[in-house]
Amino acid sequence: MNIVVCCKAVPGLVTEVKVGADAKSLEYQGQLLAINECDEYALEEALALKRAHGGNVTVVTMGNIKALEILYFALAKGADRAVRVDCETSDARVASTVLAAALKKLDFDLVLTGTQARDTLGGQVGIAAAALLGLPFAYAVVEIQMASASAVKARKELGGGRYAEVELSLPALLCVQTGIQPLAFVPPARRMRARQQSVASFTPADLGLDPAALAPKGYRLVDVHPPQRSHRVEFLDGTPQEIAAALISKIREAL
Amino acid sequence: MARGVLVLIEHCEGKIDSAASQLLAIGQRLAEKLKVELVAAVIGYRHDGVVRALQSAALDRIVAVDDPRLARASGEVQAQALGEVARQIKPRLILMGYTLAGMELAPAIAARLGANAFTNCVGIDAVDGAVKVTRPVFDNTLHVEIALEGDETAVVALQKGAAPELKPSAKEAPVERLALDLENFSAQSRLVGVTEEPRGEVDLTKAAIIVAVGRGIGGAEKIRLVSELAEALGGVLACSRPVVDVGWLPRERQVGASGKTVAPKVYIACGISGAIQHLSGMRESKRIIAINKDPNAPIFQVAHFGVIGDLFEIVPALTKAAKESRPG
Repeated sequence: MNIVVCCKAVPGLVTEVKVGADAKSLEYQGQLLAINECDEYALEEALALKRAHGGNVTVVTMGNIKALEILYFALAKGADRAVRVDCETSDARVASTVLAAALKKLDFDLVLTGTQARDTLGGQVGIAAAALLGLPFAYAVVEIQMASASAVKARKELGGGRYAEVELSLPALLCVQTGIQPLAFVPPARRMRARQQSVASFTPADLGLDPAALAPKGYRLVDVHPPQRSHRVEFLDGTPQEIAAALISKIREAL
Repeated sequence: MARGVLVLIEHCEGKIDSAASQLLAIGQRLAEKLKVELVAAVIGYRHDGVVRALQSAALDRIVAVDDPRLARASGEVQAQALGEVARQIKPRLILMGYTLAGMELAPAIAARLGANAFTNCVGIDAVDGAVKVTRPVFDNTLHVEIALEGDETAVVALQKGAAPELKPSAKEAPVERLALDLENFSAQSRLVGVTEEPRGEVDLTKAAIIVAVGRGIGGAEKIRLVSELAEALGGVLACSRPVVDVGWLPRERQVGASGKTVAPKVYIACGISGAIQHLSGMRESKRIIAINKDPNAPIFQVAHFGVIGDLFEIVPALTKAAKESRPG
């Protein structure tokens, strides 16, 4: 079974976040990019499926040259091939259009990705790309099994401790939850070696996309600010013993 | 009349999802401000009870699709059906809940319509005819405000949360039955069944005190520190998702959207940063105490009392104080 894993490179701690000049994206100072957490779980699951059923794993990301880092990481983990789509966007409609076009160029039975990126918290691009390609899909998947040579069975969360079992004909796209597989440690030596591997690169033009169709539209970012709190949190200071005594009385009065 | 507001109603076993009744209240307020019609759409099979319940919700009309093929439909089929309903109604706004089902359907419906989707929203409002949504970014540490422009359809998926009161209506909303060409839908997936998490040894929903541990604890062997506090307070140990994902505690201890929704008298969060999924499972707790070394941790958005500090200092001190103050 050939699997494509879509991963996003996301910044760790960000500072000086402000609305960009185009009012369509946010600008910020960010630390090094890392693979988005649930996308790493998707990759881990793809590698487990490959071990069990054979085939190959291709990892795809969209982003500038800095996003190469996570592709090398994925290769070090055991992905066979890496592809970067040279496109930077935080617009879900644009991103899913580009991703769908990139997937059309690749040979796959199954596409895996995470549920949500930690920067945009949108959770849209995987499902939207599936809908654009007419693939069946499932979101918040916690278990994947082969149902037959041409179908998978996915267990997905419904919330509140309930799950649905869905059978999907291949090719299909699944958005994977964190925790689906234990994450394997990648030795630094392997990460170094992975940097020698070549990474294929496509531009949106290579994918046959018209740049004009890739302009975000229909909205304008107005402001970005810390969340407004419904009530003010009261912070307690002092030595651990003083704080503990104060907390005990706060706990007792609430019971 | 300008294009209206369409609310997509999520329901299960004849009951309207609690997110959907919040959406109706939000939809009422938006439709009033925008001076447009408010429509609710329900798809399913034999859902007359749901439709009847909606009739008193001050809607201009209800669009219902009742088809046996929608009885146990996959997300793939539901998205096509709801996309088709939206195509016929041509609303300005499609409101839906950011529930697990909404997370799956919102991007698919938007993609089918070529529309923008704004997911995970914590607020929506209309001022002078302009719609604005608020949604979190960067691990829920910041909110971004987005003004919708133009007249094209936008999908807005809203988190459960505070909503205005639903205004009942004396007059019953008319119901339009819509027949869709389901034969021509792509159905490459099917729902096989629904299961519940087996009942474990704890029932978090009945606890008066919950002491919850997050990834900040740093290792399985250190969880004892927090379970000792739970025990000293006569409470129950719980955790956030990452703790379960790495196998430090079993799934039955998980509080959050995917796990248990709890509202104890006291909720103590130790080393929990406060992902949205966690907050949505515990924000109704009567008194929330958060201990975290990061003053910007989103958990402090919902906490009543906060301690910015090292949980390895605070938690043992609190355990000791709890033991000493215990009556008898």
